[in-house]
Amino acid sequence: MKNITLGAVLVLAALWTLGEAIAGGIIADKSSITFVGKQMGAPVEGRFTRFDADIVFTPVKLAQSHARVSIDLGSIDLASDESESEIKGKSWFNVAAFPKAVFESTAFRALGGDRFEVSGRLSIKGITRDLVVPMQFRTVAGVQTAEGSIELHRSDFKVGEGVWADPDSVAEAVQVRFKMALKS
Amino acid sequence: MNQEKYNPTAITLHWLVALLIAIAFSVGHYMADLDLSPWKLKVFAWHKWVGVTIFALVVFRVLWRASHTPPALPAGMSKLMKNLSALAHMAIYLLMLAIPLTGWLHSSAAGVTVVYFNVLTLPDLVGKDKALASLFKEIHESLNWALLGLVILHVAAALKHQLVDKDNLLNRMRW
Repeated sequence: MKNITLGAVLVLAALWTLGEAIAGGIIADKSSITFVGKQMGAPVEGRFTRFDADIVFTPVKLAQSHARVSIDLGSIDLASDESESEIKGKSWFNVAAFPKAVFESTAFRALGGDRFEVSGRLSIKGITRDLVVPMQFRTVAGVQTAEGSIELHRSDFKVGEGVWADPDSVAEAVQVRFKMALKS
Repeated sequence: MNQEKYNPTAITLHWLVALLIAIAFSVGHYMADLDLSPWKLKVFAWHKWVGVTIFALVVFRVLWRASHTPPALPAGMSKLMKNLSALAHMAIYLLMLAIPLTGWLHSSAAGVTVVYFNVLTLPDLVGKDKALASLFKEIHESLNWALLGLVILHVAAALKHQLVDKDNLLNRMRW
């Protein structure tokens, strides 16, 4: 009996792993979402360590392609406990109320070569905005990889309210870079 | 008593660096316990700018000192006292270099690049690393307490020369 139960568990685990591997997912350790902001004129880098993406992208079938990226904002890494707890708080991401940032594509456009443009909607902190993200799609070490960067303005999403709205201490513009290694 | 003085450049550097260290130390002590706010970011930036200035001035001071002979110590001083004095001064010079450096290392490890007066971007000395950042913070703070101790010794020794030995040592550092 014990062996049957164990067998069933193993089969389920295998199926579950298989399910994870179906097209659309990303290879987590080869993917990254990083950003650079500025405080008092000095660049400050950070990244998100947990995010999920469902990406189906075929350069010759742009109409059938789609991308949905969901970022766990609580996974922010700023190399400082103090900054991290502050940025998860109400004035910034308000992670308790809005745990995730979500980007959902609406259309893809070929720009020639390996360059594309992804139109979509980005939701952060309950605010949704249209966005056009430039993207490069190529094979890196045998893995199909979509990467690009976009400048966001934190006030568009009320990230940094109250005293933090002052752009002199923390700049408005935040450069976000992404690299998504797609599972084949 | 006709006594040889330090040259005007050395005197100016001494008092300028002393003033800047007093400012950086006080600001640093004040800002360490602040809650995170735009004001704190500003104060931290100012502290770093003063620190970088001190570092540059001290590098210049070391070069100046190495190429200019300081006036001789009072004849009445014992050999032991002269050696202790040289040792204390050496330690102060080392700390004046090590303290800004550990501050810079802390800033790099904490993921904040130092941009001098919002203009000159200094290279990051180490990569982002939380554990390293708090280690450098500890070292930076400890070295500051060590410097405070040495400065107290330095001032006490100068006053002892002036008031007890009455050898008018302070005159060497007057313009």
